[in-house]
Amino acid sequence: MVKPIRFAAAVLAFLAAALPAVAEDKPTLTIYTYDGFAAEWGPGPGLKQGFEAQCDCTLNWVAVDSSIGTLRRVQLEGATTEADMILGLDTSIAGEARATGLFADHGLELTGLDLPVTWTDKQFVPFDWGYFAFVYDKTKVPNPPKSFEELIAEPESFKIVVEDPRSDTPGLGLLLWIKAAYGDRAPEIWKGLKSHILTMAKTWSEGYGLFIKGEADMALSYTTSPAYHAIEEDNPNYAFAAFTEGHYPQIEVAGILKSSKHQELAKQFLQYLTSKDGQKGIPTTNWMYPVVDLGDSLPPAFTEQPKPEKVVQLDEATITAQSKAWIDEALAALQ
Amino acid sequence: MKPWLPSSSTMNLPRRPLRLIGGVAIAVAIALLVALVLGAILGAAGAVTAGVGTSVDVAHLLRMTAIQAGLTTILSLLVGTALAWSLNRLNFPGRDFVVGLFASAIVTPGLVVAFGLLTIWGRSGWINAALAPLGISIGNPIFGLPGILFAHTVLDAAFAARILLGRLDALPTARLKTGRSLALSAWQRFAIIDWPALSGTLPGLAAIIFLLAFTSFPIVLLLGGGPANQTLEVAIYSAVRLDFDLVGAVTLALTQIAVCSVVILASAALAPVPTMLGPSAPQSWADRGAARVLQMLVLAICLVGFLLPLAAVLFDGIGHGLISVLTGKSFWMATATSLVIGALSASLTLVLALALALARAATGRHLLRIGLAAPAYAYLAVPAVVLALGFFIAVRNFGIRPETAAPYVVILANALLSLPFAIATLGPPLDALARQHGKLVRALGLSGTRQFALVELPLIGRDIGVAMTLAFCFSLGDLGVISLFGTQDFVTLPLLMYRELGAYRNNDAAAIAALMLVLTIVAFIALPKLFEKLARHAQA
Repeated sequence: MVKPIRFAAAVLAFLAAALPAVAEDKPTLTIYTYDGFAAEWGPGPGLKQGFEAQCDCTLNWVAVDSSIGTLRRVQLEGATTEADMILGLDTSIAGEARATGLFADHGLELTGLDLPVTWTDKQFVPFDWGYFAFVYDKTKVPNPPKSFEELIAEPESFKIVVEDPRSDTPGLGLLLWIKAAYGDRAPEIWKGLKSHILTMAKTWSEGYGLFIKGEADMALSYTTSPAYHAIEEDNPNYAFAAFTEGHYPQIEVAGILKSSKHQELAKQFLQYLTSKDGQKGIPTTNWMYPVVDLGDSLPPAFTEQPKPEKVVQLDEATITAQSKAWIDEALAALQ
Repeated sequence: MKPWLPSSSTMNLPRRPLRLIGGVAIAVAIALLVALVLGAILGAAGAVTAGVGTSVDVAHLLRMTAIQAGLTTILSLLVGTALAWSLNRLNFPGRDFVVGLFASAIVTPGLVVAFGLLTIWGRSGWINAALAPLGISIGNPIFGLPGILFAHTVLDAAFAARILLGRLDALPTARLKTGRSLALSAWQRFAIIDWPALSGTLPGLAAIIFLLAFTSFPIVLLLGGGPANQTLEVAIYSAVRLDFDLVGAVTLALTQIAVCSVVILASAALAPVPTMLGPSAPQSWADRGAARVLQMLVLAICLVGFLLPLAAVLFDGIGHGLISVLTGKSFWMATATSLVIGALSASLTLVLALALALARAATGRHLLRIGLAAPAYAYLAVPAVVLALGFFIAVRNFGIRPETAAPYVVILANALLSLPFAIATLGPPLDALARQHGKLVRALGLSGTRQFALVELPLIGRDIGVAMTLAFCFSLGDLGVISLFGTQDFVTLPLLMYRELGAYRNNDAAAIAALMLVLTIVAFIALPKLFEKLARHAQA
């Protein structure tokens, strides 16, 4: 039985190689984030390199399968968590995260931010943002709908892909967007959308994949999605449908955990994250708008189509209290 | 011949207390593990405050899911039997390749197969593209319940055909000769010779397919259309992730296990004991006339229906994504990880499946036989998101860092996932052997070890190969537990594929899907032959 032993040896060798080499005298800042952020093509590696050059520390990204997964993992781990910080929650779940009492005040002066709102949050620091929007291919949809009501009025063969609000951040974003724009009329809008919804995908990845395959005319994504296709694929044909009701923003945030032993180091990282230096890589790695004005460093593809003029929003307390009921309401309208 | 009445022949079984103890120990251990996983979640539930759960209409979900899974099972077994029958009778160049390709469908990640189907049948798919000049469109036929059933049948019927073909290919040559000299008609041949060999495998297969369809997540969500076609797993996922209602999640998981247990127990109780097994020989007795035409027709339809979507996956993967994937470090890291994990978990599956199947074959007692198989199947009924979470909490409860435990947990979880498939593959032939040769083994006074080495191993070599291959490929394509245990440094191929897909990198994801499929097909063609050779070699 040589084989299993050899396999076991291979696994052990693999494990040994996989263990991060940690210099003992340097402090390590451990940050839980969603896997796309820490991926080799995401912002993680660049931020690590940039921060380590100035902090005399080691930055350790721990990739969790989703942004909500980072919060759930810290909730499960409680005080024994290795994480010093969570990065990647958004404003839709910030209220729930805050209510756990796990997050410390960041104590930073956040002025000069380029956001659709004035930032006053004491626990969470924004690091990128975008608006939820339906993305389409200009060569296939010459006259995109300009509002939810125009979308509903399209012929039934006009299909959209949305994501399930129970399993996906953009899915929840659409729910809040419709609620913010239409209030009590939201169920009516969902009923109208029903015949156009090709499928309610579990995650953005799958839903957007269907759209790219040409199965639907539009997919729920971000106003920044067309920039990816323009820059990475040299394909200028994608655009987002600007809706007259206004668009709902998603702001991604990071927060320091109270249990962290490296409070100062964590603050230092947040300072770096929101600096021009820390932000310059964000647009072309996470495909969202930066939170500071990068001037000419922002690729023109991000401003090719003007940002939506009208912004609709909901306050955090209402979202936290009502989102479950709104999900039930929307699903009931779709049944 | 009354193969479903085994009682008279079980009298002749040799006494094998060690085999029974080993089997029972493993069955109990698996049951305990399921309890541990669920218990760990309940234990953690006290520590976190649950939000208000979204309301779940469980009765509605159960009804919808049961209808979908029931239809999938019936369709898959009908098509699978017809396909196995056709493949068994027809000899054509490239048959091995076709058989390997059919079998690879079930272990390919559901999402990949669904995307392959869309390339063929979708709104912008090949069929619509071909019909467009004529001004005809088939629209979007693949979404909704028909789409789910179609996708599931492609996956499961091909798998059923592979397993059933194994039974038909193993029919003893002597029996076929007798049948031929009696000039049996094609229908008589099926009813008298084939059916007894197939019927022992059908209940186990039905249970597996029902469980797969019942718990199917990616396909139902991708092609389902909306909340009307959701499954219980979606509600469980939502309870775990969005609501963080852990008690609710365990309750829903237990509901799912309870419903699935009915199917599991029924199949275990109904499964008759097959009676025939012999060394396989190339099929030389072809049917004639209408039966042969029908076989060709079945094969042609299945080739188009099942192989085109897989061919589409390969086709979609050959783009500019392929170069960037093959030149990237992460692909090779993930491939190495997947291969090591796959090989280890397949070995573990084989050990567990052999222990359980040998114990089952060594006893005639009905309840014990059910008890030996049920826990393995029950594991399949536990939702992946619950398993991952339960393992995660349990590992932490033991004071181990999840990153350290990750490879071991993934190997164990993958091994248990493919265990029912391995039991369904190995169980029937071992049962048949025990009944056929039990008297002889007893008379010769062979020890258990010698019985295995001299009688059993040589004859089930190919089945071992099939079971190992299934387990290996399942592990290759599985995304269940790794989703919570993966890190930047511990990434398998399907996880890498999902990460690419999550970052707009659809071309790279398609390339990885194609490469995974190639690996799977190669494994399905090469491994069973290799194991058959090894087993023969061991005998000589």
